[in-house]
Amino acid sequence: MSILPNKNELGFFEIRLESIGGLGANLAGKMLAEAGVLSLGLNGSNFSSYGSEKKGSPVKSFVRFCEADVEIRDHSPIEQPHVIGVFHEALYKTVDVVSGLNADGIVLVNSTRDFDEIKTDLHLPYGTLAIVDALTIAVEEKTKVNTAMLGALFRICEFLDPEAMRNVIRKTFEKKYPHFVEPNIRTFNRGYAEVQFKTFEVPEGAEGKSFVRPLPLLGYNTQEIGGVMTAQANSILKDLSGSRQGFLPKLESEKCIHCAACDTVCPDFCFVWEAGEDKRGRKQMFLKGIDYQYCKGCLKCVEACPTDALSDLREMIGYADDNRVRQNFPYVAGGIS
Amino acid sequence: MAILEENMKTRGIAEQVSTFESGNEMAAMAAAQINYHIMGYFPITPSTEVAQYLDMMKARGEHDIKLIPADGEHGSAGICYGAAATGARVFNATSANGFLYMLEQMPVQAGTRFPMVMNLVTRSVSGPLDIRGDHSDLYYALNTGWVILTAKTPQAVYDMNIMALKIAEHSKVRLPVIVAYDGFFTSHQKRRVEYINDRKVVQQFVGECPTDYNFARDLRKPVTIGAHMSGDDFLNNHYQQSEAMYNAGEVFKEVSAEYAKLAGREYQVLDLYKMEDAEVALFLLNSAAESAKDVVDQLRAKGIKAGVISTNIIRPFPAKEIREALKNVKALLVGERADSYGANGPNLTHEEKSAIQEDRNNQTIVLSRVFGLGGKDFYATDAEKFFAMAIEAMEKGYAEKPFDYYGHVPGNPEKILKPVIEPQYGDAFKTGLIEVGMDEESNKLKVKIPPLRALTSKPKRIASGHGACPGCGIFAGLELFFKGIEGDIVVLFQTGCAYVTTTSYPHSSHKQTMIHNLFQNGAATLSGTLEAFMELKRRGEIEVSEDATFVMITGDGGMDIGMGSAIGTALRGHKLIMLEYDNEGYMNTGSQMSYSTPMGHMTSTTSIGKTQRGKAFHHKDTAQIMAATNIPYVFTGSEAFPQDLIKKGAKAQWYAQNVGTVYGKILITCPLNWKSEDRYGETIMEAAVNSCFFPLYEVEQGVTTITYDPEAKNNRIPLSDWLKYMGKTKHLLKEENQPILSEFENEVEKRWKKLKAKNDHPHL
Repeated sequence: MSILPNKNELGFFEIRLESIGGLGANLAGKMLAEAGVLSLGLNGSNFSSYGSEKKGSPVKSFVRFCEADVEIRDHSPIEQPHVIGVFHEALYKTVDVVSGLNADGIVLVNSTRDFDEIKTDLHLPYGTLAIVDALTIAVEEKTKVNTAMLGALFRICEFLDPEAMRNVIRKTFEKKYPHFVEPNIRTFNRGYAEVQFKTFEVPEGAEGKSFVRPLPLLGYNTQEIGGVMTAQANSILKDLSGSRQGFLPKLESEKCIHCAACDTVCPDFCFVWEAGEDKRGRKQMFLKGIDYQYCKGCLKCVEACPTDALSDLREMIGYADDNRVRQNFPYVAGGIS
Repeated sequence: MAILEENMKTRGIAEQVSTFESGNEMAAMAAAQINYHIMGYFPITPSTEVAQYLDMMKARGEHDIKLIPADGEHGSAGICYGAAATGARVFNATSANGFLYMLEQMPVQAGTRFPMVMNLVTRSVSGPLDIRGDHSDLYYALNTGWVILTAKTPQAVYDMNIMALKIAEHSKVRLPVIVAYDGFFTSHQKRRVEYINDRKVVQQFVGECPTDYNFARDLRKPVTIGAHMSGDDFLNNHYQQSEAMYNAGEVFKEVSAEYAKLAGREYQVLDLYKMEDAEVALFLLNSAAESAKDVVDQLRAKGIKAGVISTNIIRPFPAKEIREALKNVKALLVGERADSYGANGPNLTHEEKSAIQEDRNNQTIVLSRVFGLGGKDFYATDAEKFFAMAIEAMEKGYAEKPFDYYGHVPGNPEKILKPVIEPQYGDAFKTGLIEVGMDEESNKLKVKIPPLRALTSKPKRIASGHGACPGCGIFAGLELFFKGIEGDIVVLFQTGCAYVTTTSYPHSSHKQTMIHNLFQNGAATLSGTLEAFMELKRRGEIEVSEDATFVMITGDGGMDIGMGSAIGTALRGHKLIMLEYDNEGYMNTGSQMSYSTPMGHMTSTTSIGKTQRGKAFHHKDTAQIMAATNIPYVFTGSEAFPQDLIKKGAKAQWYAQNVGTVYGKILITCPLNWKSEDRYGETIMEAAVNSCFFPLYEVEQGVTTITYDPEAKNNRIPLSDWLKYMGKTKHLLKEENQPILSEFENEVEKRWKKLKAKNDHPHL
């Protein structure tokens, strides 16, 4: 008797985790896979999207499970998963996180918001949505988001044994960091217990979310030979706000003395300056604001600020858009404004 | 490694344990079990993890392999060769351009007949640079004289690593052996794997390390290794090699059969899948062959007689077995993850064709397709298309297009890349607010800069939207330096984080002209660029502004592998700047130690454990090395002292324009790998300077000046006040590590005192 609830034509039950580098989705995927393979005797594989992506960039982790006697030959990325875990809510601005989800699949989202809002944002017509506030659990327990997400994923993958995972947590920490054992077990248990489900009925004959293998922007007729680029500085078109992990700097202009200490330390060139005149009529530069499109939330500027014009803010959806001051780049005429 | 007792299994003779690991982990596991004497290595993605896992295991006391971090792959191959010539058992792992960098050493090792084992974790060769997997590096190995085994799965990586040494050392072979497996697909994918529980069983299988050859090891029997030859002798030497290589094919079969008895897993020369009656077949190397097998099952269900041929060994090439396997195949598609440009098909296409050419009755139509370059995924649907092409050829009786690429797309002309911003050059980067002049009396430059606030009017040289980690110290450091430079710059970025995060095609974060070259060669490359500019200008073929400044940007890793290139450039005195951002490790490849990593600091190749406590030797004093080349200006700087760094940028520009080469080092934080909080980047830098670990100074025309003296300012702090900010150094503050901390403190103090003496005496 199979313990796997669902299988595709090759016999795989597939999970895809969508995250940004630094949240531990890779490790969560590995632990999930190990729990199936080493504790339950399933066959399985686990891997991540690979590249030079740094912390804060979108990453994926994949888990395949199958019966012990099924040989795993497929090593390509999972395109039509049964379960998707979204570790970082802001990701779905830039990544189609639910691409290819099975019609009766489950999406788990780390969020404080309610079901209907997320369902709308994900363009999810039907299927099961699971929500867990992993960040709050992690902040309260002084642990990491991925452990809380793992708890929720174990609840979703009912065939896995949560006690085996607790043992792995114990083994991981007890020797070197015994004081981490209890908070991590609590984080896992809370993720397991606090995840909420809502199923939007799947109509008869419903199909899964479609998926498209993205084509490269350029091809052999449109790529300059040698890969040389002339579109200098076109990375300004990118939106990096998804790299923030819940916090951003808040600027209170009235407290600002325009010393440029923030500008000096900012790795992402987010501070927007404008020429003007000071009270005595002398030409001076003035800090106009922050371009949150590029801010990755490192908060170095808050540390550098000699006044309290800059402070930490737990990011609420919409704040960055409402308070963004755009960088004034010398766009080509007729280009992007 | 998570092992559960109930998973213990017995197959073959040896007791085995199930685990869930990647190809890299299994290569390291096999090496640790064999307990090689020496590994000389240099990190390169995706092979780096092999050394990392071995370092981790070593810290836990699980093996005794002496792990030697080389100055580059060429150096690593030298270390391996020297050790092998001494009769030690030697191991290495590399990829892509790392392999090409050591390429000249490969035939030396084979031609002088010193066995060793190297894992080639296959990845595409630059350029353009691509870190993902294909077989373009492997194809350079085909002519090196090394035996080459191909491993499709993490299980095969483990098994073949054990077989490889036995084949290499076999008296009929005595050749080095490569185990090649697919970068990322096999190296990083975790699978269920079985391994032999008792390393003694593994060691018994590979046998005692042979001592009866003419090694350097016994000084009572002096030998000459590497005498030069002329044709008569050289041809005979190579005939021996050729014979040994063919012998390796036979020995492979013997060793494989013996291993099958031990472990219950057998590797035939060819890996044939449903080939008995196949009419159409694909020939694929490594992981892609696995994917294609699933498609064979589907086609067979539809009544199509499909099959897959793959290899477990490609040097020697199993021509006889291929010939046999293709006897009744009507159409074969050879899919290759590399090309031999202009040869009307990549290497293995021709080897397949030449294998069947000797069978006069063979009628197989051969198609050749280059696919999956640079790690482009190979899906089941791609295998289906390959089969469809083979079926079409079979039905037609000929191949319409014998050779082609697969998976390339023409692109949409509407999406062609267009400039986003107006070109930024010349006056755009001139503020007129920075004054630099030579003070005749002191023979030193005097620089006047305005308040930082006024300099915010100057645009940044690098654009927002780059992909660096939150809190990365590189860009604050580079931009402060660039602020001091007025007018145009031409930059060359050597491979490293700053390059990778600013040039992810089709995006660039550079406003001015940027050239990349691999990091052992950036200084030489920019020398060429600069001289070409000057020569074109001298002949009146181009106009270049007088103040155009040439800057080579490198990490501390680039100053390890590229030290020779940098020193050569300095000695030639080209009018350019070499700027090093030092984050104390090879952060772009996952935090391996660099020579600039300070003593005791933890990296992924200097683990903390019972047998070792972080990096074993002191940090490289690159600024002093470069000062010893007697170039006109050398400096150190940090974002925590912005005015100081901007002034040094201005001086660097002046010296590079008027006198000769400049070298500068800026220390920068890497929150990810220093395991520090993003927000404390500047604070940590300030502490590094105030602890005198990283003194701010300059060497101007040979005269040393400390530009900020924490003692004089009463700001000096103990080294531990810097170390406490970083997870990578927390262990150094523990009582048990006091001796290491003291040794580190003494070194810092010694260097600081020397520097002060130089500051006080213009002749030092």
